[in-house]
Amino acid sequence: MRHTLIALVEDRPGALNRVLGLLRGRGLDVHSIAIGESEKPGVKRTTVLVDTEVAGQTIKQLERLIEVLEVTDVTNAQYVVRETALVKIHAPEPRREEIRTVAEGFGARIVGTCPQTIVFEMTDTPDRLGEMIERARGFGACETMRSGSLAMALGASARRADEPAEDVTRPWWSQADGG
Amino acid sequence: MTDIAAPSPFPLSASALPVPASSIPHPASAERTGAQVMCEALLRENVEVMFGIPGGAIMPFYHAMWEYRDQLRHVLCRHEQGAGHAAEGYARSTGKAGVCVATSGPGATNLVTPIANAWMDSTPLVAITGQVSSAVLGKDAFQETDITGITLPITKHNYRVTRAEDLPSVFHEAFHIACTGRPGPVLIDVTKDAQQARVAPDWNVSLNVPGFRPPAGPDARAVREAVRLLSGAAKPLILAGHGVIISGAAAELRTFAERTGIPVVTTLHGIGGFPEDHALSIGMPGMHGWVHVNRAIQECDVLLSIGARFDDRVTGKPSTFAPRAQVIHIDIDPSEIGKNVKVAVAIIADARCALNALLDGMPAADPIAETPSRNSVTWLRNIRETQATHQHRQSYMRRPDTTELMPHDVYAALDAELNDRGNYRVVTDVGQHQMWAAQLIEWRRPRTHITSGGAGTMGFAVPAAMGAAIANPGETIWAIVGDGGFQMTNQELATIRQEGIRNVKIAIVNNGYLGMVRQWQQLFEGRRYSGTPLSGPSFAGLAEAYGLRGFTIDRAEDARDIIRAAWDHDGSTVLDFRVEREANVFPLVPPGSSIGEMITREGAPA
Repeated sequence: MRHTLIALVEDRPGALNRVLGLLRGRGLDVHSIAIGESEKPGVKRTTVLVDTEVAGQTIKQLERLIEVLEVTDVTNAQYVVRETALVKIHAPEPRREEIRTVAEGFGARIVGTCPQTIVFEMTDTPDRLGEMIERARGFGACETMRSGSLAMALGASARRADEPAEDVTRPWWSQADGG
Repeated sequence: MTDIAAPSPFPLSASALPVPASSIPHPASAERTGAQVMCEALLRENVEVMFGIPGGAIMPFYHAMWEYRDQLRHVLCRHEQGAGHAAEGYARSTGKAGVCVATSGPGATNLVTPIANAWMDSTPLVAITGQVSSAVLGKDAFQETDITGITLPITKHNYRVTRAEDLPSVFHEAFHIACTGRPGPVLIDVTKDAQQARVAPDWNVSLNVPGFRPPAGPDARAVREAVRLLSGAAKPLILAGHGVIISGAAAELRTFAERTGIPVVTTLHGIGGFPEDHALSIGMPGMHGWVHVNRAIQECDVLLSIGARFDDRVTGKPSTFAPRAQVIHIDIDPSEIGKNVKVAVAIIADARCALNALLDGMPAADPIAETPSRNSVTWLRNIRETQATHQHRQSYMRRPDTTELMPHDVYAALDAELNDRGNYRVVTDVGQHQMWAAQLIEWRRPRTHITSGGAGTMGFAVPAAMGAAIANPGETIWAIVGDGGFQMTNQELATIRQEGIRNVKIAIVNNGYLGMVRQWQQLFEGRRYSGTPLSGPSFAGLAEAYGLRGFTIDRAEDARDIIRAAWDHDGSTVLDFRVEREANVFPLVPPGSSIGEMITREGAPA
């Protein structure tokens, strides 16, 4: 099952390498990863979409890494997810206007043009991006680039790893999966 | 040739004390090289010995080491793998971090096997490697290898240091991480220019590792729940693993077992954590565990696992493991919980803290001691009855038409002599001889049984015994090793000789095969002995060539006398036991089976 994990990772050399290496070493398939500065200096926040049947185990193993400060699985929590895509469409006249109208109907905006092509930027849910890109293919999209999903839980941040679980008599893996 | 009786040029007393910073040659504020800082950082971590081999990129460190040689012993090994395993032997026998040193490139890659071994067996190990100068890093320089990249998945953490001023904090952090929580290997890769640069070191370093949070102590609710489960158990069982030994919890385990009357199983790495001559000790579980132990696991209703990680060699087919049991899992590493076995209660803590909390958690009127011990008298009697039915048939599987020396004769003699004399450690390698040692010697004390369990690294025993011998000069260190494993690292006999190490006794259980593989080929692959017959030199002759004493034994009646002679000989020795070539280790859980389905000889289910 695909899980959306949000990790806080210290910005030390090789930290991202370690995270990806661990997932690879455990035979897990990383669907997307996005990483960037967080609100804390020296700490990066990363969103990882990973296919794992043992999410609780995966989280604990990630948290064993020295640079990983915290991992939250938001898959079953209330969270928002956004992704940005850049889509270059072959748009010579006379189809230019039609393309522009369709793209803007998806909420995409033009960020660059030349006589033969238009580059649109669109930020939305990954599914909506997929629909827009599919449609753009029909116009002869020549290049797409996606940022990977960015996720953020609503409300207060989820349980930290070093806090005791709510109820120790319950198997913890059912808690880790948000159950 | 130097006299074998010559004392070591660098004698090391067992009471070697941490070196006060004041005895370090340089005043704290003076400028010095990065290499000197590395030596002083090691002294500040109370390191007294390191095992290594020099080379181009680590030469500045060796240059500096000379100034500190009275406090910091360097043992020149013959291969970096040997240096790494020697550091592991040192660490496993003392609980302190072992230190190994290598140069860049092949020197560093030769450390990969011991680092992986230390990773699998939770051994505190600090590996120091030289690296090419930062000016040529990434340019495929001579002997350049990305060793931090290579060791990423097999270290707890690793560092590449390119600035001398970072050395004090990196070394302090590395030792802290290697030794704290669940121990493990840490690698420090230092570029040559960082070793050569001059700095005034700032020793006022504070740990800055917010992502490294060993558990503070057991959760009170989890402890209460564990006490409740144990109180209601009719057939409780303790599974004691390596964590008992690492945390120094043998005394607490004994108190807890005696107070509750719960029988104790010790895993391969838990051996010595509970004395096997104790009435509550029932033995080793798993692939080559005893039938009565595996049956007890399959029957128990509450399984209290202390510092064991449910390795597949213990569980067999995991879905069939302990089907009736509610599992209480004590482990310091949260990622072990639920990894292989479903757990009813998890106690995330050091084994000793957890046992103390369980002891404290037991009410004064002590329902645990009441209920289960009443039941556990019957329970233990049932286990002993199964043992009486099976074990005598397991220990001696002598072919009726042979009069040769059986491996079991060697172990009977070793067991008698070890337990008569005491004051020993045993290091075993990997394979048949390792399982026989675990089964046939009666183990009594923590850190007396040291083996490569998780990684199963052949070649571990000889160098690890050497490391244990340096750490424990007043004890006799036996290496028990097969002829296959011995030939993987036997060049360290030269190190043993050069260093004047006198207390290593190497018993080769020599059957002329890679025996464990041959056994599987016999039992499961129609006796197709592909790639397993193995020749070797006269091992006694080889020992003599290295300046050590060698013995060859091929009759059962000589085994005990020669072991005594080797023990009494003032110097390290090699004993070549020429045993029956096709003796097998039984009982055995066939691969992929439940531990309840054992065979006790070829074609014979238990």
